[in-house]
Amino acid sequence: MTLGRALALSLMLLAAALVLSVAVGPVNIPPRTIFSVFAANLGLTQPPLAATDVTSTILLDIRLPHAVLLLLTGAALAGSGASYQGLFRNPLADPYLIGVASGAGLGAVVAMSIRWPEDLAGLYVIPAAAFIGAALTVMLVYSLARIGRSVPTTTLILAGVAVSSFATSLTSFLMLRSNDQLRRATGWLLGGSLLSGWQPVIALLPYVTVGLAALIASAYVLNVLQFGEEQAAQMGLPAERVKFWLILAASLTTASAVAFSGIIGFIGLMVPHLVRLIWGADYRRLLPLSVVGGGTALLLADLLARTVIAPQVLPVGIVTALAGAPFFLWVLRRSKNQGYW
Amino acid sequence: MPRKYIYLGLAAILMLSACGSPAATSPTVSVPMTQPDGFGHQPTALATAQRIISLAPSNTELLYAVGAGPQMVGRDSFSDFPAEAKSLPDMGGGFVALNMELIVAAKPDLVLASPLTPPEQLADLNNAGLNVQVVQNPTTFEELYANIRSVASLAGHEAEGENLASQLKDRVDAIQAAVAPAAARPLVYYELDATDPSAPYTSGPGTFVDLLIRTAGGVNFGADLGQEWVQVSVEELLNRQPDMILLGDYTYGGVTPEQVRARAGWDALTAVQREQVFTFDDNLVSRPGPRLVDGLEAMAKLLHPDSFN
Repeated sequence: MTLGRALALSLMLLAAALVLSVAVGPVNIPPRTIFSVFAANLGLTQPPLAATDVTSTILLDIRLPHAVLLLLTGAALAGSGASYQGLFRNPLADPYLIGVASGAGLGAVVAMSIRWPEDLAGLYVIPAAAFIGAALTVMLVYSLARIGRSVPTTTLILAGVAVSSFATSLTSFLMLRSNDQLRRATGWLLGGSLLSGWQPVIALLPYVTVGLAALIASAYVLNVLQFGEEQAAQMGLPAERVKFWLILAASLTTASAVAFSGIIGFIGLMVPHLVRLIWGADYRRLLPLSVVGGGTALLLADLLARTVIAPQVLPVGIVTALAGAPFFLWVLRRSKNQGYW
Repeated sequence: MPRKYIYLGLAAILMLSACGSPAATSPTVSVPMTQPDGFGHQPTALATAQRIISLAPSNTELLYAVGAGPQMVGRDSFSDFPAEAKSLPDMGGGFVALNMELIVAAKPDLVLASPLTPPEQLADLNNAGLNVQVVQNPTTFEELYANIRSVASLAGHEAEGENLASQLKDRVDAIQAAVAPAAARPLVYYELDATDPSAPYTSGPGTFVDLLIRTAGGVNFGADLGQEWVQVSVEELLNRQPDMILLGDYTYGGVTPEQVRARAGWDALTAVQREQVFTFDDNLVSRPGPRLVDGLEAMAKLLHPDSFN
């Protein structure tokens, strides 16, 4: 299958997931009403009589921005995950490998344990702190792993694991200390995005589009890197510089996504592998298809999170692994192409 | 070559992060948020609420106690008292997040939130144009009466609110009068959780437990531990020897005095040896509603049985 056809197919899946996310929720809105609300909002028709303010608030201010936020988050996680797997040539790599998640968690919990003024600016302190925590952690890991002018991959992963553990234990300590924020912090750490509406989407959009564009543009470089860093260098690739820029792009993309959506596990690991199983390991295909697939997967997981035990809303990070792991194993067992990696 | 695009893209990212971190892009519209202390003043401008959603068990209990139960159209997942409240539509909150969709669709004219409501969701409720009031936690019984009057007046039940507040005040005054002559002030250890029996959790200063133990004529074991919910070592318990052990974890954890006696080292506590270990309904001390006074009476009778003969 060519990239074009594969991409068209996965974009159709993504569109279907997006439509489902907007159409399905605890409040039952008939498809006809949904259609007329959107048509009226695009200026195609007069506002329908059947649609009340409430239905359009639910569709346009609650469901749609939530779906778009998750689409961007899923795309960011799966795109960064695929890049890290290629960069580290390690099938276990995920976007959190070198400390983004633990750093973001620490930043967010620090911000939650301080009492901010309860206005809108106060609310944005938490995503900002998560972003800064993630960025600082990755910078620390990178500089710790640096030996002279090179950053050996193994050292980078080990430094990432050590710094992550350190940050996670600090986070746990802070959570146990600040009792009244425990539930809020736990919800956030499991991928419960607390902010809603269009503002987080607008804030996230530039980071994810620019970051993912940079990653997709470097697909060929990742292909060359699969021969090993030494080989790649002999083929004229400035391996160390490429590594630096790839880490920067993937980290910023992931950090901005987790800042708003909380820490959502498994998407960044599972989606690139699914794409590899189906369409092969060429990064020129793998990266764009992972980006689209990540958005789809997270939208579907969120659909489950919102409906399975409605009216309760589960943190989506619980669902991604709970539903994703068995599905992934099933695909892995069925695949005849076991040696795909 | 792709590399050029990478540099261009990353330069753009850096520029964006320099001028537009998520915090910087935030508040273009200023939203009238509920002030933290905004509940103190009389909300005279508001019409009587007819469609009320409560987002905390204490608010639900307050509303029912002043006769506003029939005006309620929704509750949070934890509101389970009185029994009628359970038949109201559940608006979520069991896994932190409220179900915003259901709340908006119920078209409430008053949403009674609490300090338990995450600030992000308070902002969402305000953004949706709803009338949100945050009932702050009382730190004294006077503040509890004030909360009752305010909630009652929002719901158009001023007379019932006034009545309930003065009844509760009479009951609290009676308890204080009854325990005042008692010579001894027993040291009370209130247990919240002892999943690790060598380091259980107790209530520190600023909690309702602390207020109730003090008002009931006792001394809270955790009073000077500096934090609202604190983990103490069993050695500290052995060292200070509380006169009485109250098991709040009986309510949700099913912990019994027999289990306490069987814990390693706990049989050396004088309270255990003298059988001064009692189960206690945690719902009476953890929800700042009218049932706090039930909790106070139950506690005073345990602490000073002689004063109530």
